Amino acid sequence: MAGIRIDSVTKSYGGLAVLKAFSLDIADGEFVVLVGPSGCGKSTMLKILAGLEEASSGKISIGDRDVTDLAPGDRDIAMVFQNYALYPHLTVARNMGFGLKMRGTDAGEIDRRVNEAAKILGIDHLLERRPRALSGGQRQRVALGRAIVREPQAFLMDEPLSNLDAKLRVHTRAEISALHKRLRVTTIYVTHDQTEAMTMADRIVIMKDGVIQQIAAPDVMFREPANLFVAGFIGSPGMNFLKAKAEAKGGGATAKLFGHDVTLPVANGGALAGKDIVVGLRPEHIAAGPGQVSFTVAPRLIESLGSEQYVYVDLPEEHRREASAGGDDETRRTSLIARLINPEPRPPEETLTLSFDPARLHVFDAASGEAIR
Amino acid sequence: MPRSAFLDLARPSRRHWLGYLLLAPAVLLIALIIVYPLFVSVDLSFQNVNIARLDQPRRPFTTANYERLFASEDFWNACWVTFKLVTIVSFFCFLLGLGTALLVNNRFKGQALARLLVALPWAIPEVIAVVIFAWLFDSSFGLMNWLFIKLGLVDQTINWFSSPDAAFAVVCTVMVWKGYPFVSIMMLAGLQSIPEDFYNAAKVDGARAWQRLVHITIPSLMPVIGVTLVLVMLWVFRDFSIIYVLTGGGPLKATQSLSIMTYEQAFGFFKMGYASAIGVITLIVCVIASRLMIARAPDNI
Repeated sequence: MAGIRIDSVTKSYGGLAVLKAFSLDIADGEFVVLVGPSGCGKSTMLKILAGLEEASSGKISIGDRDVTDLAPGDRDIAMVFQNYALYPHLTVARNMGFGLKMRGTDAGEIDRRVNEAAKILGIDHLLERRPRALSGGQRQRVALGRAIVREPQAFLMDEPLSNLDAKLRVHTRAEISALHKRLRVTTIYVTHDQTEAMTMADRIVIMKDGVIQQIAAPDVMFREPANLFVAGFIGSPGMNFLKAKAEAKGGGATAKLFGHDVTLPVANGGALAGKDIVVGLRPEHIAAGPGQVSFTVAPRLIESLGSEQYVYVDLPEEHRREASAGGDDETRRTSLIARLINPEPRPPEETLTLSFDPARLHVFDAASGEAIR
Repeated sequence: MPRSAFLDLARPSRRHWLGYLLLAPAVLLIALIIVYPLFVSVDLSFQNVNIARLDQPRRPFTTANYERLFASEDFWNACWVTFKLVTIVSFFCFLLGLGTALLVNNRFKGQALARLLVALPWAIPEVIAVVIFAWLFDSSFGLMNWLFIKLGLVDQTINWFSSPDAAFAVVCTVMVWKGYPFVSIMMLAGLQSIPEDFYNAAKVDGARAWQRLVHITIPSLMPVIGVTLVLVMLWVFRDFSIIYVLTGGGPLKATQSLSIMTYEQAFGFFKMGYASAIGVITLIVCVIASRLMIARAPDNI
């Protein structure tokens, strides 16, 4: 096991830069998740780390070894692929032992390690089968097993859960976390699913267009998103964004929200005066009934999940942000979602009083998108 | 207007009728041009016929053709020649075909042109190919003799078509040249259906290029290899025009395969009953060989 150091790695295809100066230090035994929308460069970064693609510039070390220009097989890493890449002509046992066999490990040792890994994953009864005779979940375990058997310095996982159905995905997610706690092998996990990132990661690296947006522990990322993109990406449903103008008042700053002057939770309020800002408010921080800042709305739609309700409200015109080119979808821009926990049943046509705590607000610079605290 | 329930072929219960209806023309054609002659030749092989005519009365049943056949030295010679041809030509077709397929499966500039060139011999009619090669191997003017002498491999011209071994080698060369593009095309199709991630996973697992070929590429190609092998073997087995135009079966019957022998008996000596017996044996051998091949192809993909 070893830490991994990625030092300003870039990658471009012709004129198209898909990775811009990616730097990351991963501690020994850490579980790091790279997350972002498709095309953000996360899979490319993983392939570069595995040695399947060449970095245009930059340096990668695993442990104390510089591996930047080392063949994949010499990096002592194991990778789990999205489609598992199990060899159909080999049995489960030989699939798992393939890497060891290629390295010339003797047969007895391969057997011992394959059996051990199979026991950990609960697939010891499947060892003589071929991959096509397995279910999706079982194949996924075999793919994990193939990685474990090698006892590598690090695991690289490329969206390993995306081919599973929703229920199995939740289950396997927990299993991978448990496996990581048990083996303590440095793991880099790529996904586009923020829930996987939140639930599994020690640290999340969130990327967009080849640029790291923020590196933080899941809770920190949820509570203190660095910019509008991170705020919108982490959390489900995503954060509500309201356009507003900051005004100076006393030492702090206020903004007019739903007709109220609301004090913004920022340190240096005076500097904000007159600036265009975007105020972020998480759906779960909106409560039913009157509170510190209350407003009355006519819900457009109420979705009930039993334990919670999603209330969709049309945003007043002055709070709507400009439609960005190819950006968020129209309903997110024009509506506010409130997530009410343990709600009482209510008819959709009834007007509703909602409220929020101004301390829970997030403030972003409208021009740059950066968070202001 | 309600359609008649009986004639409505779109109904689920009538759908198989439509299938049979659409199959009928093909089945009729096959019956007419393949199955019927097959039965006729099996029938002929059990009669003492010289020139077969359908309007003649049947001759009495006899197994004399087969008895003569199995006692004939020429027949066993032809079997041996055919066996050598099938083995050698199939082997080199696969070697060249797989090799070229692996080459043009890579991404490089001019890949489309390279693929075209690899497939080119396949597009050339057999007889034309043979005439070209006959000139290449011509004993007085041929390029090959000149080349061999220049390279110092031989010190006097080889008379390619009068030495049994040389003639056999030339026939093999032409057949390999003509046959490998088919293998190459089939292998290329097979190669492109292997997921890229198999190779990525193998690379991460530390497999070298040779190990990836042996452990990933070849096993993944097995189903295609099985089918291709059968088709190539059958092609060599029954190919007639290359040998006939190149050597006519000579010299000293060194290149007389079963199909050449069949032709010679039927249209050279007009012993159609005897020729039919050879044809029937050829058919049986082909059927058994291809059954074995198909059964041997692993069913694990």
